Amino acid sequence: MLVSPYVVHFILFVAFPVTFSIVLTFHKWNIISPMEYTGLNNYIRLFNDKTFLKSIGNTLIFLVIHIPLQIIVALFLAEILNQKIKLRGIFRGAFFLPVIVSGVVVTILWQQLYGYDTGLLNRLLTGIGLDKVGWLTDPNIAMSSIALMATWKNVGLYIILFLVGLQTVPTQYYEAADLEGATHMQKFFKITLPMINPTIFMVVILSTIGGFSLFIEPYIMTGGGPLNSTVSAVLYIYKQGFFYYHMGYAATLGLFFAFIILTVVVIQKKFIEKDN
Amino acid sequence: MKNLLNIIIVVLLAHILNSCSISNKDSRDEILYWCSNDNSEIKFAKVSTEEWNRNNLKDQVKYQPVPEGRSSEEIILAAVVGNTTPDIYSNMWQGDVEAYAQAGVLIALDSLNGFLDFLYERCDSAVIEEIKSLDGHIYQIPWKINPIMMIYNVNLLNELELHAPPQTYSEFFNASQKFQKDVDGDGYVDRWFGYSEVLVTWWQRFFDFYPLYLASSDGAPLVKDNKAFFNNEYAVGVFRFLQTLYKKKYFAREQLTARQDVFLASIIATRFVGPWEIAHAEKFKPKGFEYDYTFMPVPDGHEGPVYTYGDPKNIVIFKTCKDPQAAWNYIKTMINKDGDLKLLTITNQLPRRKNLNSNPFFQEYFANNPKMKIFAEQSKYVKGTDASPVLKEVFDLISQEYEACVIYGKKTPEQAVKDASDAVDLLFLQ
Repeated sequence: MLVSPYVVHFILFVAFPVTFSIVLTFHKWNIISPMEYTGLNNYIRLFNDKTFLKSIGNTLIFLVIHIPLQIIVALFLAEILNQKIKLRGIFRGAFFLPVIVSGVVVTILWQQLYGYDTGLLNRLLTGIGLDKVGWLTDPNIAMSSIALMATWKNVGLYIILFLVGLQTVPTQYYEAADLEGATHMQKFFKITLPMINPTIFMVVILSTIGGFSLFIEPYIMTGGGPLNSTVSAVLYIYKQGFFYYHMGYAATLGLFFAFIILTVVVIQKKFIEKDN
Repeated sequence: MKNLLNIIIVVLLAHILNSCSISNKDSRDEILYWCSNDNSEIKFAKVSTEEWNRNNLKDQVKYQPVPEGRSSEEIILAAVVGNTTPDIYSNMWQGDVEAYAQAGVLIALDSLNGFLDFLYERCDSAVIEEIKSLDGHIYQIPWKINPIMMIYNVNLLNELELHAPPQTYSEFFNASQKFQKDVDGDGYVDRWFGYSEVLVTWWQRFFDFYPLYLASSDGAPLVKDNKAFFNNEYAVGVFRFLQTLYKKKYFAREQLTARQDVFLASIIATRFVGPWEIAHAEKFKPKGFEYDYTFMPVPDGHEGPVYTYGDPKNIVIFKTCKDPQAAWNYIKTMINKDGDLKLLTITNQLPRRKNLNSNPFFQEYFANNPKMKIFAEQSKYVKGTDASPVLKEVFDLISQEYEACVIYGKKTPEQAVKDASDAVDLLFLQ
């Protein structure tokens, strides 16, 4: 009796949707017509779907740019904000502000900044005599632009995490290093970094999970273009499900993508356990 | 997770619509008619239903704008899933009808008394052939069109000493070259002859590739007998024409939507749009601004009429309707000559009926609205969409290749059209 609320919730929102999704992967279904059993067709199609494979590649490119950038920027700013500087509280609040602003609002704002003709960034570039950049229209740059924006949006959260990590490093270590004549860089690499290793791993895991669910930014800013260079896996799954109404195929893609995320998380977990 | 979230949203929408429908059904034996939520169409629905209800106490019709949602298509889908569809819906995109017909949620209208006689009197046989479903039945009533044509800035063309708008690809290139300019001298072109959205979104092709393809091919289909039909000289020619426009920077490759209205600001001289632009231009045009419409550009040497895309919106009766014959009786009065004149005067949208441009009954309207006259002339040569349950995917696949070839020049027109055609054939096989 006591566990029944949880059981009902589990059946309604976990067990049934997951089971239904798995059943869907063996069917063709467009919502309005009856389901049609298609065997393994959806799985065969998945491995021949170049756009889906590209979307996985795009997501990985995003992660490769976004995660290191996020860690470096967040750690650098956290290190500064951990010093006794003037207006420290205001700066901490300011860096956290984008985190609480709606993702859609931030995306539309950056879309204006990235505009080719009228965007602020290109106006600054041409103002100092440089060429305009196709921030969202050059297939080689568009995903990096999105990663840069995502970093700006989320960095405040990771600054907080790093600040917490930095404040747990015992000050005696730094005092001892000072007595030994260590430079600031030596202290950072020999004391700070090893001591905040668990925080770094946590940031990597959170960024990875966030990165895999990349959707709003390409959906609003580029629609997946140019030339599919910003189609993320989730955006592609959404498109198959809610644009084409290929529910069976979308479920297959979703299941496969969940398997990829699970693999990555397991590998990361192994690393963490090894480190511990 | 987002997938699941969206399914939940559709189910909730269906549930909400179901709740609304239950409360409606409890209190009505009346026919429920969903119109578009455009203000002028709501007004038209009000006038039309009030007149009907005055004379038909037995079969009362209640109009209601389609419930608010991200798009009316999504609302209709949710209503179909929830089995809460209205009796009549009047803003159905022709390209959606085949999927709903195959799902068995629409009434085959050709089974209703007097339907075919009325239809043959109202429409050309080509239009009737166009709206026929793959199973040979008719599930939609052609209602209104908004043909895509080329709007142009008369003053700017006069400045270029072009006293007639360009009609062929060569004339279009010449005019583009004369007009293109780097106004502020920063080394970048900032005045283009035309503009079309560079987004890969499937329906954007209704405003560039598709009307140009219809114009070039005299209204050839894109798909026929569940196969791609567009791997031909016309599609290749259109891709090449548009690719040249972008390559030579006659069209802006960047999105200009963040700016003011680029046509009214004279940053571009032409655009491919429908008659809805008239009301907008009349409201916002600067003093002295003159504009007009002409046919879509065609390949050099093209002879005969110039076809275009008509953006047809049609009327359907859902199977949830208890009395389809009564619903049809109402629709007949909604789209008879008087009804069509009301549609013109209230909404400034063209009814899809034959001889619209020459029928004396409508001439007073066109005399008072001369800019609509050219659309009435064009209405003889408009095409809708082909009957296919996967038309959005077809347009999406074309759009992907359009982007690669036309916008970014990564493929030749021949290769891009072939790749799109192969992808569409593969789609039909799946």
